[in-house]
Amino acid sequence: MPQTTIYVSPRSHGAPNERPPAVVTTDLARLFAGSAALAGVSLRVEAGRCVALLGPNGAGKTTLLRLLATVIRPSYGAAQVDGLDVARDADLVRERVAYLSHSTGLYDDLTARENLDFAATMLGTPDRAGRVERALADIGLGDRAGDRVRDFSAGMRRRLGLGRLLLGQASLVLLDEPTSALDEGGLGLVEQLLAAWRDVGVTVLVASHSADRIDRFIDARVVLDRGLVASVSGAGVTTVAPGAEPSHRPAVATR
Amino acid sequence: MSALRRDAGIALAIARKDALSELRGRHATVSTLFFAAVVLLLFGFALGPDAERLADAAPGLLWLAVMFAGILAVNRLHLLETDDDALEQLALYPVSRRAIYAGKALGGLAVMLVLGIVVLGAVGILFAVDVAGAVVPLLVTIVLGAIGIAAVGTFYAGVTVRLRAREVMLPLLMLPVLAPLLLAAVKATAAAFAGDPFGELGAWLQLLVAFDVVMVVAGAATYGFLLEDG
Repeated sequence: MPQTTIYVSPRSHGAPNERPPAVVTTDLARLFAGSAALAGVSLRVEAGRCVALLGPNGAGKTTLLRLLATVIRPSYGAAQVDGLDVARDADLVRERVAYLSHSTGLYDDLTARENLDFAATMLGTPDRAGRVERALADIGLGDRAGDRVRDFSAGMRRRLGLGRLLLGQASLVLLDEPTSALDEGGLGLVEQLLAAWRDVGVTVLVASHSADRIDRFIDARVVLDRGLVASVSGAGVTTVAPGAEPSHRPAVATR
Repeated sequence: MSALRRDAGIALAIARKDALSELRGRHATVSTLFFAAVVLLLFGFALGPDAERLADAAPGLLWLAVMFAGILAVNRLHLLETDDDALEQLALYPVSRRAIYAGKALGGLAVMLVLGIVVLGAVGILFAVDVAGAVVPLLVTIVLGAIGIAAVGTFYAGVTVRLRAREVMLPLLMLPVLAPLLLAAVKATAAAFAGDPFGELGAWLQLLVAFDVVMVVAGAATYGFLLEDG
């Protein structure tokens, strides 16, 4: 079972109120084949907050996370993470962002330990072996560390994906449906992770259809609908009403 | 830690990861060795028992087998990254793109070196050529040729990895670019088998070195763009 206190290693970034906004997006849009998955989102997220991105399928939650993670580039508008532009300073942004997408990006023929060890090497994690073992214990896979990932269930793969997030020094964690495929123990793990990140001032953006299970960790809720911000509530997040900012992009059709 | 040293560590980690996956799955090795064996046997039967004819064809057949098997190998090593969208995760690590390219190319190179040495031995047995008498120049040729194929193949495997028709597109893109390498490698191999009577071996090896340098530099400089998803 996971230990009660999960170890996360934050960047030495000072108190949240002394830091620049963790995320600033300005009229951020992303087109796919001419239609807008994200149609002009302007958000400002204070550092150290846990923000739920809510909305139905196709609302633009995943696209927003992928843009912030530098997986894709904006079609129009801009996005900044810790004051760094996601398009122009992508290399520096990657040092600050940890992203768990729908897929876990694991190698089937490697063991759980080898997968995390590879990730730790790529992330330049100090005391690699120790941190990998700690992460395996934290996610409750210590006894399966030597097993190949090919034999893992979807929930175990998800846990391992979450374990990879513990190896870096991210100041912004992006989670896309982190509770999918997880059992009750896995859901508890997500709660522990959110608590650990909150304690060290890491900003977390969680995309979800529903934030019921992680409700008590959420500082603010952003509801997206058809690529636009439908509503914002809670502390630490502000938005600019559509049309209140000058837009430099052409009119686009939303999906 | 210098950037170069860190890049080397990252490249070795990627190559080690690919090697571990390959040792356990044996996807690339089995398919490439099987393919190479079929090519050599079929051509051996087609050319008949004439020893001189077989020896004349040996350099070309050796590189035909190595090249097509090499294409299979680099394609397979990139397919490892498509399982569970690992390529996206790989692109998200805060590491230099040239280190990722070098790591993937090293993995392909390792498979091709094993393959090249096995094929060389098989050619020596099946095609009545003296491998033992020219083992050093032959090994140098295989190493240089494998570096070039790995450099080009890694780049184009990156181009095609997200395409549905990647198995068709990869050889179509690679073969024209590999033409100078194949010419130089076949000529160098033929010269080595013959004992280099005209002193041309060095010139062909120099062409191989130049090809390798150009392709490695170009691949390392541009591979990062392939990791961007639009």
